[in-house]
Amino acid sequence: MGVDRIAEEERLIALMIGYQKGNMDDFEGLYAALKQPLLRYLWTFVRNATVAEDLLQDTFLQIHRARQTYTPPRPVRPWVYAITRHVALMHLRSGRRRKEMLADDQLPEVPVPPEMEKLADRATLHQMLSELPRRSQEVLMLHHMLGMSFQEVGQILGIASGTAKVRSHRALNALRERLAENEGDES
Amino acid sequence: MTTDLLLESLRRTISDDLAPVRPLPPVWMRVLYAVAVATVGLAIVVAAFKLTLRPDMEQLPMWLSWGCTALQLVVGVVLVGMALRDAVPGNGLPAGAVTLAVITGVVMQFVVGIATWMHSPGVQLIKGQGLKAGMTCSTHDVALALPALAITLWLVFRALPLRPSVAGLLGGTGAAVTADAVNHILCPVSDLRHVLVWHTGVIFGLMIVGWVVGKLWERKQFG
Repeated sequence: MGVDRIAEEERLIALMIGYQKGNMDDFEGLYAALKQPLLRYLWTFVRNATVAEDLLQDTFLQIHRARQTYTPPRPVRPWVYAITRHVALMHLRSGRRRKEMLADDQLPEVPVPPEMEKLADRATLHQMLSELPRRSQEVLMLHHMLGMSFQEVGQILGIASGTAKVRSHRALNALRERLAENEGDES
Repeated sequence: MTTDLLLESLRRTISDDLAPVRPLPPVWMRVLYAVAVATVGLAIVVAAFKLTLRPDMEQLPMWLSWGCTALQLVVGVVLVGMALRDAVPGNGLPAGAVTLAVITGVVMQFVVGIATWMHSPGVQLIKGQGLKAGMTCSTHDVALALPALAITLWLVFRALPLRPSVAGLLGGTGAAVTADAVNHILCPVSDLRHVLVWHTGVIFGLMIVGWVVGKLWERKQFG
């Protein structure tokens, strides 16, 4: 974990402790720090920026209701992302899912794995990523795009860190294969 | 911090209910709490039913009597600890660990039952009395497990189990194994049919109870 990551995690822990003590500014700090990465993660599930925004509100409400279940000084992010994942899965299960076609401008700025950036343009990578099974997308999103360790990914998904590593490796290979197929088709 | 960053409705909801909260104690502390309550409950049940040590205690080697009880208690407490851990977001246990723990609890009861039967026949079952003896033992097993089950599920649902049925299954198995550990040195019957039908049956029953309670809680909580 880099120095920046450690400092960021310590900041999140301090904000979470303040929030548990009833400080609204700390909640707002937490919201500001987590809003964008959580939207990206939620997008993996719903592929719709509007629904992701709605689910983000649901997520923060759930975080609020469950704020006493965070035990300092444990890392904040696995706790938050596990709740976010649950909110998204409950949404998918409830059948509230809207089957809307996405307009291009609805796509949030979802980064792609750095090692993939050279292989294709952004639009193609987005397309290829969205065609992967959700399990693979989730691991890629959490590890390669949001910078979580495999241990953190395992804690969020409820799997062993070794399993998270294997899933990530397979997902990257699948993405590479799809990109190679795509290149072959174009040539 | 400006309000445009945080939606006004969310801000209002949060600020209206921003009472300070005390963080949940760590898992080991909640396990100690569960163990304390379950121990008191076990003592009350043993006294209420006037249960005494099995008559063939001295025929059983130490490792098979107190040793196996202690080992089963440890496994039961570990299962309870796993349930309490799984009830906190971001602490989800891998499916393999859950499966292994549950199987260990059941297999251990199985093995202890067989080993006890091989060492001592205990009190012989009188023909036609099997059902009565079984019902009595099942009642004792359930009564011994109830305090542990109740406190474990209460602690599980006070947190935020994102997989409540898994946490319930672990809690149910933990409580059942703990009760069986105690009943192992109380039940006078070693007959394998009695042990495998009634005592193992209660373990499976309590596992299902934990799982179903988790499912019901999930439906109530998350729709």
